[in-house]
Amino acid sequence: MSLELVCPAGTPSALRAAVDAGAHSVYCGFRDETNARNFPGLNFSPAELKEGVRYAHQRGAKVLVAVNTFAKAGAMEPWKKAVANVEAAGADAIIVADIAVLDHAARHHPDLRLHLSVQAAAATPEAIAFYADTFGVRRVVLPRVLSVEEIKKLNSAVASTGVETEVFVFGGLCPMAEGRCALSSYATGKSPNLVGVCSPPDFVEYCDEGADGTATRLGGFTIDRFAPGAPAGYPTLCKGSFVAGGKTSHLFEDPVSLNAASLLPRLREAGVTALKIEGRQRGKGYIAEVVRTFRKAVDALEAGRPQVEAEAMLAGLVEGGRQTSGAYQKTWR
Amino acid sequence: MVDQPNGELPKVLQILARPAGLLPLGIVLTQAVRRMARRRPTLFERLDEHRHASFLVEPSDLDFAFVLVPDGEQASVRSYSKRALPSADVHVKGPILMLLGLLDGTFDGDALFFNRVLSVSGKTDALVALRNTIEDAELKPSDLLGVTGRGAAFLDSAVLRALASARRVVGAPNMGAMP
Ligand code: SF4
Repeated sequence: MSLELVCPAGTPSALRAAVDAGAHSVYCGFRDETNARNFPGLNFSPAELKEGVRYAHQRGAKVLVAVNTFAKAGAMEPWKKAVANVEAAGADAIIVADIAVLDHAARHHPDLRLHLSVQAAAATPEAIAFYADTFGVRRVVLPRVLSVEEIKKLNSAVASTGVETEVFVFGGLCPMAEGRCALSSYATGKSPNLVGVCSPPDFVEYCDEGADGTATRLGGFTIDRFAPGAPAGYPTLCKGSFVAGGKTSHLFEDPVSLNAASLLPRLREAGVTALKIEGRQRGKGYIAEVVRTFRKAVDALEAGRPQVEAEAMLAGLVEGGRQTSGAYQKTWR
Repeated sequence: MVDQPNGELPKVLQILARPAGLLPLGIVLTQAVRRMARRRPTLFERLDEHRHASFLVEPSDLDFAFVLVPDGEQASVRSYSKRALPSADVHVKGPILMLLGLLDGTFDGDALFFNRVLSVSGKTDALVALRNTIEDAELKPSDLLGVTGRGAAFLDSAVLRALASARRVVGAPNMGAMP
């Protein structure tokens, strides 16, 4: 079985671009708080999802739908509706993080294939076995904090459960255990885990400071400053520049993008089933290029051909203009 | 090759384009956007409340700029001289060929921004909503000009080919460009 390339789609046209560029699967979500990429102008209505599924299926691709924020206690209606709409659209799987939503889906929509979102941050054999045994979860999207060696151990430990693992290989980098981060709640009062965005755009400001360049702010806090002409990043708190111990640095993570293309052979060997590309908020030009490049890389790997130079091919597309292989081979500060 | 920074028009073309600022471009573009809203009414739904926001679009290599309020059939576009730019909810600035590339999806707005080809300020949520709406719209030159049928396909391929050659001539950076 070849590695499955799971690609992002923030809009119906991005879905078509991803499918046409060679995605094996596309993931997307609804235009509401049930979706952890709830940006203005982005995402699908139920009718658009149905049409997107039809388009993908006609071309042999699958559609996975993320209903992956944490439901509000006593107000689960939007999440229940979203799960029903995923099934009605004929999607191939639903990506869920919240235990209550998983429970609801497992009881009331037993035919829906359940994938565990990265937002659930399940990174131990015990956690994965719990989700598999309790709700029948078939695939787990692993948080971006594990090394390739750790992923390999994890996969052999969960092999008996039959649960597949999916790992991020490209795009924005969340350096912490997702679903647990409250940084943007402090700065904006809005939690990424409840409303679906870390760094909500209505709190983001780019301030032109003339000769000093551009300052990026979130909720009134200056997160970083970029010299005129220097590559800038979206103001995400974990990638901000802070003063600590008398030194100014990108304390948590540099504003860089993940690119694990060079690790594909090792990830396959580690027993990974699917490779995920981040970027539902990115445009279709970006998606088409990244998907095409990764599809070439996966096909080359399957055919035993030399590896594709994905780093060089995608250098112009990444945040901050720089790339990293992230935690997969990280040396922590 | 001409060594223009970040894909700006060569100086000679910038000078030649100056008279365009005197044309009633605002009226023509207002009609074009409203016509599109009539033909594709769902297009503007993605904007939600941001359809009332004002967007100042400033081509860095031209002498004039536009303010767009994308309110469906009540949409308006006004042109302004660079000497008297109005304030707006959102301000986007960049070379004209890059701005046009955003409209037809040739370029990815984030990539252009991260690499500082575009600069933006103001209400980021409104800008993100507009960007995502344009992204999904798959706008073609014929949509803006209101041309349909076989003429539309001919017009689109001619205009897109001309823009692609123009970008090559000015050495526009390759960021998320479709083949
Ligand atoms: S702020 Fe950073 S660490 Fe927190 S969820 Fe967002 S990307 Fe992850």
